[in-house]
Amino acid sequence: MAIQELHLMGRTVMSYRLWGWVLVSAAVVVLFTAMPGTSQTSPRTTSQIPRMPDGKPNFTGLWQVLGTAHWDIRDHGAQPGPFLQLGAAGAMPAGQGIVEGGEIPYTPAAGEKQKDNLQNRMTLDPEIKCYMPGIPRANYMPFPYQIIQSQRDIVFAYEYATSNRVINMGKFKEAAVDTWMGTSNGRWEGDTLVVDVSGLNGNSWFDRSGNFQTDNTHVVERFTLADADHINYEASIEDKTIYTRPWKISTVIYRRKEKNAQLNEFKCVEFVEELIYGHLKKK
Amino acid sequence: MKCRILILLCCFPALIGSAAGQTKKAAHRPPDIQGIWNFATITPLERPTELAGKEFFTEEEAAQHEKDVLERTNMDRRDGGAPADLERAYNDFWWDRGTKVVKTLRTSLIIDPRNGRLPPLTAAAKERQAARQAANRGHEFDGPENRPLFERCLILQGAGAPTTPTAYNNNTQIVQTPGFVAIHNEMGHEVRIIPLDGGPHLPQAMRQWKGDSRGHWEGDTLVVETTNFSVKNSFRGSGPNMTLTERFRRLDSDTLEYQFTVDDPETFTQPWTVEIPLTRTPGPIFEYACHEGNYGMQGVLRGARAQEKGAVEGKKPSK
Repeated sequence: MAIQELHLMGRTVMSYRLWGWVLVSAAVVVLFTAMPGTSQTSPRTTSQIPRMPDGKPNFTGLWQVLGTAHWDIRDHGAQPGPFLQLGAAGAMPAGQGIVEGGEIPYTPAAGEKQKDNLQNRMTLDPEIKCYMPGIPRANYMPFPYQIIQSQRDIVFAYEYATSNRVINMGKFKEAAVDTWMGTSNGRWEGDTLVVDVSGLNGNSWFDRSGNFQTDNTHVVERFTLADADHINYEASIEDKTIYTRPWKISTVIYRRKEKNAQLNEFKCVEFVEELIYGHLKKK
Repeated sequence: MKCRILILLCCFPALIGSAAGQTKKAAHRPPDIQGIWNFATITPLERPTELAGKEFFTEEEAAQHEKDVLERTNMDRRDGGAPADLERAYNDFWWDRGTKVVKTLRTSLIIDPRNGRLPPLTAAAKERQAARQAANRGHEFDGPENRPLFERCLILQGAGAPTTPTAYNNNTQIVQTPGFVAIHNEMGHEVRIIPLDGGPHLPQAMRQWKGDSRGHWEGDTLVVETTNFSVKNSFRGSGPNMTLTERFRRLDSDTLEYQFTVDDPETFTQPWTVEIPLTRTPGPIFEYACHEGNYGMQGVLRGARAQEKGAVEGKKPSK
């Protein structure tokens, strides 16, 4: 796998000599780790993750989170859905939360607001209206997203609502304006891609359970390839106006491996027009 | 240890083989077309009739033409009386359509046919268009489905595919890596993902607003073929079976030549090709949250309902 990946990466951008060296070194690592008796003794190597020609981990691919965090990022039992007509198909499955420590440290007022959000979810949840999901919600919705990583910037194209963001890997840029998807500045800490997200407009939620953020929320994400097909994802969330301390979520992002897997179009605007504008239509 | 070295040596022929293949491929190393590119221009898609037969401006003519157009389209003029003022409600601050003709000094963006005009529609396309218009006539303000796609924030003007110059947001960011190119259009805030793996298009049953794109390099040119368009979208009258072929080629460090060919025999009597030189710009590209802030649609429909009730006497919807 490592050799194939390197081969792919190296095809266009590496000089013959450098490429040869990398291939030899990769072959050495693969051969040695594959040999019986040596794998335990060798230090744990990250050579099995795809890498860019400059050695940085390569996140290019189609990814998706499994699980039920999109319903509620906290621990939750199975519950009926909001529409009895959908029966079991519309029910909310049980799931372990992705919030480290289990609880979101809301201030008392913010805790009340979350409960109110949940009560009025059908009119308040931005997902229902096909609004851009914001960060981190976009990362664990039940839709795939395509990451395209170049030597310069990294594109995240989310299938849901055709939302997206380009992570600036150059000099840090302050958010010029507040936006739904925020302003993403990336940097490397070893093999971890750290993305600082600021300039969020505060209209986004974390899930379908009314957990929310404000325009003061600051998110720092950490993407680490555990192997070629799994990303360990963490995000720390800070907002003194509604949380009593910083808190963190963590989950695993899976590579979509079907041979014909690709990002499709989910332009949901046309699916919500009746909901949003129905009362203004000619009767 | 000896055993390890032996295994390594056994691998060498394979390694050398791959490396030799690599030197051949290195000759076709694709150029870097990344960056933020601007395609604003005052050159129209079709050659104006008064310029019939004139494919290119001279430098002097181009300068004069730019001056004339900017004067004519200046929204800050207040010399036309009340009706003209209304038409200029969005003053110049809101427009960003460029101030120059294209660098090639062509008088139209269409380069084929040579007359710089869209080829005639087929009889079937004319019928299709007439039927669509007839179905909507008298219902233009009934509901969102009766409004143009751009008002619904589904497909913004110029956002494509293909991408064409328009009133503002004429910026596109290209990010490339072996295997993929991403084209991020500011207009409509969408990313087109173009796989370069030589795989087939989506099955015919899967239709998309922006079609399904596949790309490959032909020498230094990125060629992107897009099919599988939705019947709900249309580019200048095109139908769902259009094949769109786009070509991107770096002319110099600050210029990217963008060409596209529309091939749709069900709609046009011949294929036609557009050429737009894109200019590098520092950016940034901003998020265009069109649907999230679509108060315009609420206003249009609310206004129409109010008018029906006679609440706004003697006024007709302006569109």
